Amino acid sequence: MIYLDNGATSLYKPPSVKKAMLWAMENCGNPGRGGYPTAMAAAETVYRCRETAAELFDCMPEQVVLTPGCTFGLNMAIRTLVAPGDRVVITGFEHNAVTRPLHILGAKVTVAGRKLFRWDEMLENWEKQLNHGADAAVFTHVSNVFGYILPVEEMADMCRKRGIPFIMDAAQSAGVLPVSLKKLGADFIAIPGHKGLLGPQGTGILLCGRLPKPLTAGGTGSESENQFMPDFLPDIGEAGTPNVPGIAGLGAAMDFICGEGTKRIFRVEHEAMACCAEGLRKMGVRVFAGEHQAATVSFLPAGDCEETARALAERGIALRAGLHCAPLAHESAGTLKTGTVRVSFGRDASFAQVERFLEELQGVF
Amino acid sequence: MRNDWLITFRSITFAQRGERLLGRMGITAAIQRTPKALAERGCSYSLRIRENDGADAVEILRKYQLPFLKIYILENDDAQEQIL
Repeated sequence: MIYLDNGATSLYKPPSVKKAMLWAMENCGNPGRGGYPTAMAAAETVYRCRETAAELFDCMPEQVVLTPGCTFGLNMAIRTLVAPGDRVVITGFEHNAVTRPLHILGAKVTVAGRKLFRWDEMLENWEKQLNHGADAAVFTHVSNVFGYILPVEEMADMCRKRGIPFIMDAAQSAGVLPVSLKKLGADFIAIPGHKGLLGPQGTGILLCGRLPKPLTAGGTGSESENQFMPDFLPDIGEAGTPNVPGIAGLGAAMDFICGEGTKRIFRVEHEAMACCAEGLRKMGVRVFAGEHQAATVSFLPAGDCEETARALAERGIALRAGLHCAPLAHESAGTLKTGTVRVSFGRDASFAQVERFLEELQGVF
Repeated sequence: MRNDWLITFRSITFAQRGERLLGRMGITAAIQRTPKALAERGCSYSLRIRENDGADAVEILRKYQLPFLKIYILENDDAQEQIL
């Protein structure tokens, strides 16, 4: 099988991830709840993961709140910054993990920037909407549908200058592009553990530039007499026993990424994406490609996108079609009715993969 | 007789950061649960440090703005709070 659905999850993890998870299952007690060796081994495992994340994302270890995933982190961040009726500016490329919590909260959402790969249009509209006043802003680093890399440093700068708190969704960028909490000055950055970071599913990180409002309350192993959640990081965001085997795997995965370097990973994935986009163009299908693109490319097949993906699956190509949980992005690109077929490369990307995919697609047509 | 120092923290994460920081400065610190009698708001963790390193450890933690709660000197089974 050729796996081209890394935007959904990375399938092939470094061997050290599984090893770390197995070790944790056999050796770790409950972290932060006891002083005996297996409890301390668990605490050390969790702290090492925080340390590695702090190194990778340029922050202090306590600013790393370990979550069950990016969606959980986004919900916690949104509920911290946004109250019902608040005006929130978002981009036209947000995932349902951003739009649904905002909708459910009753926020007044304004969409700024809807043209693919057009930084000028994005920045002009972003500034315009921020100037109308906003209680918060949320933007994705990379569109999960189109791989569009947004001009996040400039967008963050505009928010900071106006004192507007903001959240960045790094679901498609962490582990592949530089992400710095310090440099961005974000209130929160939400990250999945299982995509570009190559960790196991059920793990994630919320980088906190400020104290979050906890989504859940419970034991933290600290200040047990206090019937409110502790008012300090990371405990405030981490009620209950954490997923230690998952965290062990995530730590090992981030060690691997630190060793490889995000630049190298990005280059390999981007080259494959560019080659794929060019091949698709030559086949005469509509391809969504341009400047500022990561390792994901969407296209419109001649027939139904889901049927195309099904036919490709039968030929050993695994990729995703439809709306990719991001109807807003499809609305922006004019593909809400049709959906797209999405090809998203991972660290194992190669020209051989691209060739085989294009061959099989030709067969489907 | 050794009179170890015990520095208490609000959470294990800060105790761990302290342990790493002191380790880089050549001071060995052991993380342990804070004795119940010294844990003011319930459970917490502490760093246990040899007497000779105690004052240096506190200075380093302050210099790097690593927040801790209190400092105790352990004498036999008793703990005396130190105001430094």
